[in-house]
Amino acid sequence: MNYLDLAMNAAETLGAEYADIRIQKTIDQVIYLQNLSLKHTSNDVQQGYGIRVFKNGAWGFAHNNVFSDEAVLATVKKAYETAILSAEVNKDKKLSLAPERSYLATYKTPIKIDPFNVPLTEKIDLLLEVNRVMLAYEGIKQARSLLIMHKDEKLFANTLGTRLDLSTHFINPVITAVAVTEDDSQSRTFDEGGRAIGWEWILELDLINIAKQIAEEALIKVKADTLGEEQRRALILDPNHLGLTMHESVGHATELDRVLGWEADYAGVSFATPEKLNNYQYGSELINFVGDNTLEGGLATLGFDDDGVPGQKWYIIKDGILKEYGSTRDTALEIGLNSSRGCNRATYYFNQPINRIPNLYLLPGTKPLTPGELIADTEDGVYIQGRGSYSIDHHRINFQFGGDFFWEIKNGKLLRPLKKVIYKSYNPEFWNSCDAICDERFWRPFGVVNCGKGQPSQTARMTHGSAPARFRNIRVGGSQ
Amino acid sequence: MNSEKIVKYIQTNCKADDWSLNISEDDSHETRFAQNSITQHISGATKEISLSVSFDGRKGSCSVNQDNEESLAYLLKTAEDIAKLAPVDPEFVPSEGKKDIPEVDNCDPETKALQPKQLVDIVQTSINEAKKFGATVSGLTEKHIRSDGLFTKNGFAGEFEYSDFGHSMTLKKEEVETKVSYEAKKFADFNLKDLCDKLQHQATTLAVKQNFEPQKIAVILRPVALQELLWFMGWMMDRRQSDEGFTPFTDKIGKPFFGDKFSWYSTMQQPQLLSLPYSSDGIISEEIPWIEKGILKNLPVSRYWAKKINSKPSSAYNMYIPGEGYTEEEMMKMVPRGLIVNTFWYIRSVDTKAGEFTGTTRDGVWYFEDGKIKYAVNNLRFNEIPHDATRRIISTGKSELASPSSLLPAMLIDNFNFVDRTTF
Repeated sequence: MNYLDLAMNAAETLGAEYADIRIQKTIDQVIYLQNLSLKHTSNDVQQGYGIRVFKNGAWGFAHNNVFSDEAVLATVKKAYETAILSAEVNKDKKLSLAPERSYLATYKTPIKIDPFNVPLTEKIDLLLEVNRVMLAYEGIKQARSLLIMHKDEKLFANTLGTRLDLSTHFINPVITAVAVTEDDSQSRTFDEGGRAIGWEWILELDLINIAKQIAEEALIKVKADTLGEEQRRALILDPNHLGLTMHESVGHATELDRVLGWEADYAGVSFATPEKLNNYQYGSELINFVGDNTLEGGLATLGFDDDGVPGQKWYIIKDGILKEYGSTRDTALEIGLNSSRGCNRATYYFNQPINRIPNLYLLPGTKPLTPGELIADTEDGVYIQGRGSYSIDHHRINFQFGGDFFWEIKNGKLLRPLKKVIYKSYNPEFWNSCDAICDERFWRPFGVVNCGKGQPSQTARMTHGSAPARFRNIRVGGSQ
Repeated sequence: MNSEKIVKYIQTNCKADDWSLNISEDDSHETRFAQNSITQHISGATKEISLSVSFDGRKGSCSVNQDNEESLAYLLKTAEDIAKLAPVDPEFVPSEGKKDIPEVDNCDPETKALQPKQLVDIVQTSINEAKKFGATVSGLTEKHIRSDGLFTKNGFAGEFEYSDFGHSMTLKKEEVETKVSYEAKKFADFNLKDLCDKLQHQATTLAVKQNFEPQKIAVILRPVALQELLWFMGWMMDRRQSDEGFTPFTDKIGKPFFGDKFSWYSTMQQPQLLSLPYSSDGIISEEIPWIEKGILKNLPVSRYWAKKINSKPSSAYNMYIPGEGYTEEEMMKMVPRGLIVNTFWYIRSVDTKAGEFTGTTRDGVWYFEDGKIKYAVNNLRFNEIPHDATRRIISTGKSELASPSSLLPAMLIDNFNFVDRTTF
């Protein structure tokens, strides 16, 4: 008998109302160069299994890295006993699981070239050349390049009869140039946040030319002016900046576990509470956010979540109105949903899955509009590219964001580069101030591979995306 | 396989010029509760075996989480294969050699003996107390027994074990949200009744709230809030980053760069503090002043940079900040008006070179005037430069354990720079 069947049979024999097992092997290959020094080249493997048991309205979760019949059975027993302990506390307030059917399925990230099969020397040589290119510019004092290649192999089974074989990948190159003058230091970074794709993406990217651009822009940035006093201005936000803004102010705000207060002690709660569904004007009528765990190349496109629920596509905000959340089997029924949206994910085998942001993106504008036309139509504003400083309160209302590269816009033209720009806004002011979004030709994905949440802390990945968009009358200024 | 056998395997089979082996384990039990129910409940042990090897300054590393012979063979072969393909690292330093490792007492037998049922009883009591108070409570109760071992080809051999017990509670009653937490190596010092009483007292004093606009104002930062801000500043305190011009501390060693009421030490002399005897690459922990009466004395130095600048490597393994011993009540009388901040949230760097950070208050902000708390206020966003804020310290409290690695006082700081407010 295999471990999947062994565990599920044992859980049912013990009396579990529901149980699942996730056998997971995670491999991360990380290459990091600082200047011409290869600081880190590693291959890290985490392999084991986690078993969840649901009994009397409560979870128990146990994990192990020893593969034997005895160890699997002992882990099932530990998970069961842990659930029983939880259930004593939950007598007056039991959890419940949304209905789900069983699946027999496999899913593999579609990749053309497996990054793990590309010779290590080819990867290191590429990054060395990237750093050499950046360091060749006078004034660039530090060059950093990072390449993360990630692979998850999962076998999942539950007591509903589901059996899944999932193999997912992502790859994430990050390049940074740091320029130093006598009185300042500024960095410029290339970071698209990773994609679920193979080495073919690296070949398409042309990292050498990107390195040149990054180095040149770092030198421009370190000598750039600051913006001065905070004023209300227009912002034009590039997809590789807006990705993080939507992550923080929409993605986390619409995780149902936060809405229910399950993250009250740590990651925080959400202002977007259930009475606002279908009536709350989250954004202007241009704002349409879609949760989509079927998105091609999406980091949360995994076939199924760790509840055994398939990837789905749904509106979270439609025509500016809050419509739904990202949910899990143990949160959905709490607000009367019929089923989970499949957002329960764990990082490693030893993590109990929690409600995570799906791939979540802003739909492009429906009328033809180019970034050039958007800038030409803006009298006084700032154009922001890349991710910088970011901070949002624990209800996901008030936030302050920086960026990585800035241009002042005056009378429809990019007037001068800027540095140290920050903007402050809040929900729902920010998304309601959006008055233009470029069309689908300019829509770009932006990945997040290090979304921290939960106790113990876990990092999840998901893809956002947008076309460049304009936000009117936002408080924009320089840092101190 | 125990550490001894793993080390023996590497010693016997590794062909590299140099190697360094880290073995860490964490046996943990974590009970997470929210809105008066347990939502997650996790039990198990993890292990990580990491090997770094080098051939003529070419480095490679690998880690696995299983200790059977097949995994160790994979670990060794992968690390060696990577190293053979890697270019020579111009910043290569050999692994640390034999060292005298300081004796530390980081593992508490009572914490080690804690059973899952005891942790769940703590959760149950916390929920019962919240219900009696007409509130809901969310939090985490956790126990960890961790061990770390470092072994190198050059003769470094160290192993230590440490315990950790934590219990946090966030209480919600109507619009009031507030939090208390305890985390330390010793369970024996934990007093649930005191913690519940403190939580309810905080909630009671937060019930009357008024709107408050952002401004520069005196603040009393409680130890938990202060340690969060200072650890962020601490991450910038790197000797190399400073020498190369990336941080505000460039050329500031030996100078009075902080306020003269501010000192920061890493020490093994404070028994409450967790003090790891050495860093992951074998830098031995020593008594070290980072900042003394406002003068920047030292910055942490990596082993490579220490060699390059002919210095001694060092690491900030904990935070001890001595205080003057004033109570919150005494501090409130030292300024006409001000705010008390319970904790901070989502602190991030705004400007690395300037050393500027942003973040918001969380879990309780009180306005005081004429030496007394008047009412609670909404949460606020700050943009502040911590090293500059230390120059505005008016007085400090008694040092308290804010986390296992931080022992520091509350501080009364003038003109703290709040720049925005939340709607709650």
